[in-house]
Amino acid sequence: MKSLVKFVQIYKRIEQSPTRFSALVVVLLFGLFLEAYMHDFNLVYITLFFVFALAFTAGPMGILNIGQLEADYLKAGRFFVNREGKIPLKIHNHSQITSWSILACDTENSIAIEMLKGEDSHIISFPFTPKKRGIFQHENCYLESRYPLSTARLVKPIKSHYKGLAYPEPKGKSLQEFMHIEENHYGEEKEFDGLREYDGSQKLSHMHWPSVAKGELSVKVFSKETSSPKLAFDFYKAGKDDESRLSQLCLWVLTCEKLQLHFSVQMPHKTLISTKESTDVILKYLARY
Amino acid sequence: MSFLNILQDTRHPSLRLLDMAYIVVLAPLFLILKVPMMGFVFAVLILLYFKRTEASKLLISIIFILGFLAIFLSLYGAFSFRGLSRLKLFLELLVYVLIVVVSAQRLIKKINFYLLISPILFLALSLFFFHGIVMLTYVVFEIYFLLWMILAHRMQGMLIESFRSSMVMFMYSLPWVVLLFIFFPRISFEHASYGFKGEVEQRMGHDGTMYLDSKALLVPSERIVMEVGFEKNIPPSDKLYFRGSILYVDKKNHWERLPRYVKRRNKTFFAKKGKKTKYKVTLYPTQKRWLYMLEQPAKIIKNSHLDSDFISTVKEDIKEPIHYAATSNLSLKFRASLDKKTLHFSSAFNKEQNPQTFLAAQNIEKSFPKTKDRLAALLDFFKSKSLTYSLKPSALDTNHTSDSFLFDKQRGYCVHFASSFVTMSRMAGIPSRIVTGYKADRKNGLKDYLAVKESDAHAWAELYIGGHWVRVETTATAAHIEEDASLSSGQNQSKKEKYPLLEKVNLYLMYAKYQVETWILYYSNIRQKQLLEYAKNNPKFIFNFTLGILSLLILSFVIIAYFRKPKCHNEILCILEPLFIKLKKEGYHRGKKETLNQYLQRYSLENPENKNIIDINQCYEKISYAQDKSKETKQQLKMLIFQI
Repeated sequence: MKSLVKFVQIYKRIEQSPTRFSALVVVLLFGLFLEAYMHDFNLVYITLFFVFALAFTAGPMGILNIGQLEADYLKAGRFFVNREGKIPLKIHNHSQITSWSILACDTENSIAIEMLKGEDSHIISFPFTPKKRGIFQHENCYLESRYPLSTARLVKPIKSHYKGLAYPEPKGKSLQEFMHIEENHYGEEKEFDGLREYDGSQKLSHMHWPSVAKGELSVKVFSKETSSPKLAFDFYKAGKDDESRLSQLCLWVLTCEKLQLHFSVQMPHKTLISTKESTDVILKYLARY
Repeated sequence: MSFLNILQDTRHPSLRLLDMAYIVVLAPLFLILKVPMMGFVFAVLILLYFKRTEASKLLISIIFILGFLAIFLSLYGAFSFRGLSRLKLFLELLVYVLIVVVSAQRLIKKINFYLLISPILFLALSLFFFHGIVMLTYVVFEIYFLLWMILAHRMQGMLIESFRSSMVMFMYSLPWVVLLFIFFPRISFEHASYGFKGEVEQRMGHDGTMYLDSKALLVPSERIVMEVGFEKNIPPSDKLYFRGSILYVDKKNHWERLPRYVKRRNKTFFAKKGKKTKYKVTLYPTQKRWLYMLEQPAKIIKNSHLDSDFISTVKEDIKEPIHYAATSNLSLKFRASLDKKTLHFSSAFNKEQNPQTFLAAQNIEKSFPKTKDRLAALLDFFKSKSLTYSLKPSALDTNHTSDSFLFDKQRGYCVHFASSFVTMSRMAGIPSRIVTGYKADRKNGLKDYLAVKESDAHAWAELYIGGHWVRVETTATAAHIEEDASLSSGQNQSKKEKYPLLEKVNLYLMYAKYQVETWILYYSNIRQKQLLEYAKNNPKFIFNFTLGILSLLILSFVIIAYFRKPKCHNEILCILEPLFIKLKKEGYHRGKKETLNQYLQRYSLENPENKNIIDINQCYEKISYAQDKSKETKQQLKMLIFQI
């Protein structure tokens, strides 16, 4: 009785639609029925009843196959406009029985899961490319299966949705280019502090030529310069329009994060300083601008 | 690695699964293929084997041309507009066309919807051609196999897992099939008469002639001629006389029926009194028109003719197994009015032909004026001649058969006994005739089932005494029976059983086959009505039936539970499984991130009295981490779990 109640609960959550194979079963049943009835032919009767019983059994088996699966979104990485990101989905099989032939689908993609063992989980990732910055939702996802006989398409909608934030598309001039242009604005070059490997972002005047002559690309590091936040990005100078400015700032912020450089972003009503706010907070501000 | 493990890990592509399905569904259809079509299929198989890449358009065109040429040659001569209307020919054509189309598509090596459904179509078509217990078994196997292949296709070609799933599905559907088969309403159309015939089948039958010379039909074969299902128990052996034909005319070396020009008054006296025996007969092809019924039939068999001698015939020779229900009164004698013509023919004899017999018969006639006494005297006379029942008698003088048998050779079998007895009875003034048919033996029966074999063929005499025809078992007068002759003597009690166990097993198999044929292959609306009618009046039957269905359900669920249970692949975890079940029952569930060691320790801490758990844990650690995979350690682990 408990199992029956559970089955009814599962059944209510599953959407079913016939496939062309179900039409085949109907035609087959009709043909076999005519043949069996016209000639009172018991072999045909037996085949007819088997086809009917198997088609009938396929329903509950298919429902149990997909009904015990639960899907939940996992925390995803950063999303940028026009850049493909991944939305991870964890599918867990609450039954002890292996589930077969599952498709995890969203509006654009479908990912096949051949089998999912009982009491086991599987993580899949939906590719997702935001078209505009700001908050987005990944929804209308569902699990689909045609197991066992392909006569019905069983769909279990995933009720939860993924709410994410798409940052501006990081594009524009590189940080190195920005540095060359803004060279004069950098701090004083006093108190030689040593050498470090040239990574392309430093000024050419900082090149340590003796090292270059030895075959090592090194630049001079000044204690005064390293401790001063000299990278100041101005919103209005970053581009011609808001979107290009945000994209440019996003690129520079990400590069600074990669190079572990401190920076500040001068927005129209706020100054974002990397030492005070995390990159994610800064990016969020840009995304929501 | 075992074969099963290899199979477990192997994934079979859809085309291979499809090929496997084709092999199974085409196997029965191969029996109906004509040689040109077989040649075509063989050519396609060779192409499939050697050509691993997709076939070109030219090759496909050639295949089509060859295929349709093969169809033309296969059906050449059988074709006409009239012929096409014949169902079997039309279906044969359909099978051929389907084979050609499927071959072409298969050579393209691309699976489409039509290729996927073609095995099911082949299965449906094969049902038209075959009918029998073998086909029944094969059809059930085919259905299961196709289901297996469909699931394997859905489950990425994993044969072992799909086998388990298909078994679950099959067992779920089996009780439905049984219930539907029994209760689904039927209508009373005739059973289909088409089906694969194979070679012309012929069992020994009686045709209204009985030879006494070397042409005498003596078939000591064990082939089954008839299978009889009695409503109740099988009657005693001395009442199992199945009437075939009646012979009146002595033609020296053989006996014949009444001449065709004799028009008789067809008045049949059905027995109104006495106990009636109901039975169902499955008669195998005899290529003759005679049906067989016990003693005095009480009803006419549907679509047959019953004459005043209680001989039942059909219009055309029996070329396929037929089934009929019959009712008979098992009496030794039955009332009959003897018209002049029949009296003439049943009294006719030629005294010059058998003078010695005539002399002996005259003596009896003079000595015993009462007919009954005369019959006893005739039997005594036969007994006094010290006759020997032999299946290999020396040839009789066919000009004087009775004299030769009674006074010279004195060896013969049923035909010689019956012939001489009838001749002598007529000479003694008693109208008489020979009956040929089968004398069945209860030893060939089980419960209500009786098998009648060719070796049961028999001849006996019927004498007209006091307005009744009285059966006389003439071979009972034999003083001696030769060892190898007991089969056809009509004295079955002396039959020797060389391999009693084998014969018993054989009988049980025949009984099972008969029951399957009766209750499955030839289950009809009549049987369905009978069953329901019987159920109405028999609560015990309903109880037994319900019990049977419940047993089937339980059996199905046991099999389902076995195949649904996830298969344990790790040997140690398999050994530990009963322990996990026990701990779960006690409310100890293993945490998601809890190791087995932690789990068992948690249990032993809370249940210190159960010391075996600590030993089990140690044993498990030893096997899993100390690489101690000896049989002894595993055995020890099993023992510890068993003790718990």
